[in-house]
Amino acid sequence: MEFNSAKYLYDMEGVNKTHIQLNLGNSKFKHIVIDPANTDYQAILEWAKIDGNTIEDAD
Amino acid sequence: MTKAAELAKMGEVITNSQIGGRRNIVINGAMNVAQRGTSQTGISASANESYSTVDRFRFDGGSHGGVLTASQSTDAPTGFSNSFKMDCTTADTSIAAGEYFIFQTSFEGQDVQQFAKGTSSAKPITVSFYVKGNASATYTVELRDVDNSRRNSQEFSVTTDWVRITRTFVADTTGTLDDDNANSFTLQFWLHAGSTYTGGTHTDNVWHNTNNQIVGDNNTSFFDSTDRTFFITGLQMEVGSQATPFEHRSFGEELALCQRYCNALLAYGTGDQTDNRIYNADYANANGMVRMGYPRMRDKPTQNYTISGGTISNDFSCNGLIQLMDDGDTNFYIYDILLEKEL
Repeated sequence: MEFNSAKYLYDMEGVNKTHIQLNLGNSKFKHIVIDPANTDYQAILEWAKIDGNTIEDAD
Repeated sequence: MTKAAELAKMGEVITNSQIGGRRNIVINGAMNVAQRGTSQTGISASANESYSTVDRFRFDGGSHGGVLTASQSTDAPTGFSNSFKMDCTTADTSIAAGEYFIFQTSFEGQDVQQFAKGTSSAKPITVSFYVKGNASATYTVELRDVDNSRRNSQEFSVTTDWVRITRTFVADTTGTLDDDNANSFTLQFWLHAGSTYTGGTHTDNVWHNTNNQIVGDNNTSFFDSTDRTFFITGLQMEVGSQATPFEHRSFGEELALCQRYCNALLAYGTGDQTDNRIYNADYANANGMVRMGYPRMRDKPTQNYTISGGTISNDFSCNGLIQLMDDGDTNFYIYDILLEKEL
């Protein structure tokens, strides 16, 4: 999975993280559900363990 | 076969098979639905091997150096419009032990309970399909019980003409399948395998859990030459020991079944921003939302989209509803939307 950056998205109340938003470039995005059973989510967590990789908090 | 034997066989089929209703457990077995696109180049062990063309079918590769192009082809046997075509573009003639390349489709546990697998009433399973290639070849078709790490495989031959292959797999009284929406069962084709999977003694039609017995020594490597092609369609998996004629379903029915796993909304893939977009419902106000409902999928999907005029700040989508907010822009919209929750 190739992307430029990753950040968390929250629910409307701004309390709970609901998704990770991947910026794929050229205005393309991918939203991955935060769910330990989700294989896409598992892959992002593995990516985040690599030095220098960070899932940014919401703006 | 004598008349008496024919009648006995018919009685067996009526007793043990599903003779009416929906028989084929495979979704999109006629290869007619291709929501993501009709061709994918550069498929290798490290790129593009997941779902990319014909719905419900993907590749699984390990370590091999081969590369192929996959496409939905109109080369098909009589009575079919499409097939899944694999075309080797980079060969790999030095097969290391751990290499493998598999073509597969997977099933939710709740959709294969009729096998009664792991019980004393377990049923045999019959798989049938049409294949052809650029030359003679031998490959292996396998049923894989994901929940219990059990598998059963059988070899089949490919020629340069379309041929229908049928293989009946004996019932397995060991290992029940989970009754849920996760991947419990996979129907797959071994097209390339190293000694990790060929090194033991392969025997057709035996349930086991030993990797080096999956594939026989005479399995052809799909990557042995860039001349190599492999076509498949009419894939059917049914309960019982009899292969019945392929169950054709309408395009609409098949598409609806596929959309539980992949849903290409509006005119996905065309880049159309005029007629096929979801506009900010609050048009002139910040904190606007784009919303669109869709049939519920296997679970909350991963959402892919392109946005114009904004940046999504919050996502409160659920299974069946896209619901995205941009807290800083007004005239924004999204298009080219693809939802995925594959197995």
